[in-house]
Amino acid sequence: MNKKAFQADQVSKSFGALRVLDNVSITINPGEVVGLLGPNGAGKSTFINILAGYERQDGGTVTIDGHPLDGLSPSARAKLGVARTFQSGRLFSKLTVAENVALGAIGLGNSAKVAKERTQSILEILGIEKLSPYQAESISHGNARLVGLARAVAAHPEYLIMDEPAAGLNEDEAPRLIHALESVTKNIGCGMLLVEHNVKLVTDACSRVIVLATGTLIFDGDPHEALKHEEVKSAYLGNAGVH
Amino acid sequence: MRHGGVTKFSFQNLFGPIIIISALTFFVGRTSASLQLITQFTLCYFMMVLALQVFVGNSGVLSFGHGSFALIGSYISGMLTAPINIKGHALAMNQLWQALVPLHTNIYLALLISAIISAFFAALTGSLLMRLSGLSAGIATFALLGVTYNVFFNNKRIGPGSQALPAVPTISNTYILLLLAALAIVVVYLFNISSLGRTLIATREDAMAAPALGINIYRVRLIAFTLSGFLAGLSGGMYVHVAGTFQVQDYYLEFTFLTLSMLIIGGSASLWGALLGTIVISTIGQLLLMMEQDLPIFGIHAHIPEGSRAVIIAVAFVAVLLWRSSGIANGKEFSIPTFWRK
Repeated sequence: MNKKAFQADQVSKSFGALRVLDNVSITINPGEVVGLLGPNGAGKSTFINILAGYERQDGGTVTIDGHPLDGLSPSARAKLGVARTFQSGRLFSKLTVAENVALGAIGLGNSAKVAKERTQSILEILGIEKLSPYQAESISHGNARLVGLARAVAAHPEYLIMDEPAAGLNEDEAPRLIHALESVTKNIGCGMLLVEHNVKLVTDACSRVIVLATGTLIFDGDPHEALKHEEVKSAYLGNAGVH
Repeated sequence: MRHGGVTKFSFQNLFGPIIIISALTFFVGRTSASLQLITQFTLCYFMMVLALQVFVGNSGVLSFGHGSFALIGSYISGMLTAPINIKGHALAMNQLWQALVPLHTNIYLALLISAIISAFFAALTGSLLMRLSGLSAGIATFALLGVTYNVFFNNKRIGPGSQALPAVPTISNTYILLLLAALAIVVVYLFNISSLGRTLIATREDAMAAPALGINIYRVRLIAFTLSGFLAGLSGGMYVHVAGTFQVQDYYLEFTFLTLSMLIIGGSASLWGALLGTIVISTIGQLLLMMEQDLPIFGIHAHIPEGSRAVIIAVAFVAVLLWRSSGIANGKEFSIPTFWRK
């Protein structure tokens, strides 16, 4: 067991007779950005829900820096350094952008002063400080994704799980997201697991990629190698290639 | 994009409601003795609506159980201040546990004790109830109200049961009630804009996203429920010292429905909504009551059948839920209208 890593070891999950995850093992090292690819129904969402504590696995174990997380709630995992973002953003709509981001720090028990400082710093790092006073429900979808990232990063997590951060982004917004992820890696230095359908984003932003197909891990390695991997091409990429 | 936010301190957000409730108390309360009494009851209701706002408004979890805390606050303050000879000899109290008879203190200490014990009761029951959400929480809190009511209604060893405890000393000075209401506004406002208040609002806005930020939903709801129980207990204590008698029935379904209507119609998400709802429903309710009793309103007789008041308030409640679920205040705190600003 790696002492300094976020790990899933032999994780399995079934819904009734349907085996959604079959002994999946992954390791994310500190500061490493890892992509998680897979077709619809591959078990990606179930897997990250298990990692973040939103679902319980039937078998296997999840650890952070050697400490088992099994049975811990999402809030307890957040306190141990596991943050996540959501596919649909899930910002607190009546709160401002600054209030949303500050909650990332406040939720872990930091003072309002620390939360305010972190909020300013993170919004500046991501280049969205001008959004601070606006209600979260009134900002654009692309900005909402960045605010969701800022909120998760405000916790200064050890590891960040991102659920399809590029979903719904247009061609102009996707590069902003990649730039934001690079800024987070550079300034915060947390390990990241990036669940994405956008293969180009994954190959651009990640140093390693993991591919799931029908609940089984079929590839773990260099992103560019994944594009050439026969099983990955057959299960996921097909003839579509990079888009 | 809209400016907004709910957790930034603003003098007008805080002092606007205090000035308005003070002005109304001053002007309406001086008009006549009956209006003064109505003002006093309204201040008691307002305290209860504030209690509901702290928990229901900020957490989004509906509670029908707050009447329990008001009942306990009222009971304790009434029992601690009623004359010893009344407790010892009144017909209604002939089965009273004798150890309760000599307990006696002044009104203000009794109010404090009643609020603290209500808060303790809220923490105790909340430690179980706060594990629930949505429909389950609504039903469970309703059960709490039913249990508390039936225990006090049927048990003459601890109180007057279904009878009234008479001769409870009254607070004749309306400004003392106003002072308590103003203090409660300050407490509730500071809670709402605090980090804790913000985390509670976050759990209301998205109960799935909040835990991902380390927010322990159970813990923040329990703290709010306890503070809410304190204010509800204080409300019950104030009420008994305005009514001058303690009756279990005063804190049951009608009380629960009325105070929840005030909160929902005014707008549950803000302190300003709590005040607006209390003022609007109290005023309309009083006018409808006068119409039921065929009393003239500004010299005009407009009679409506008995019971219409409850029906009309219920219809208003449903209408707000249907067409303006965020209430009159629309989730906003008090601010001076733009056209009045230079």
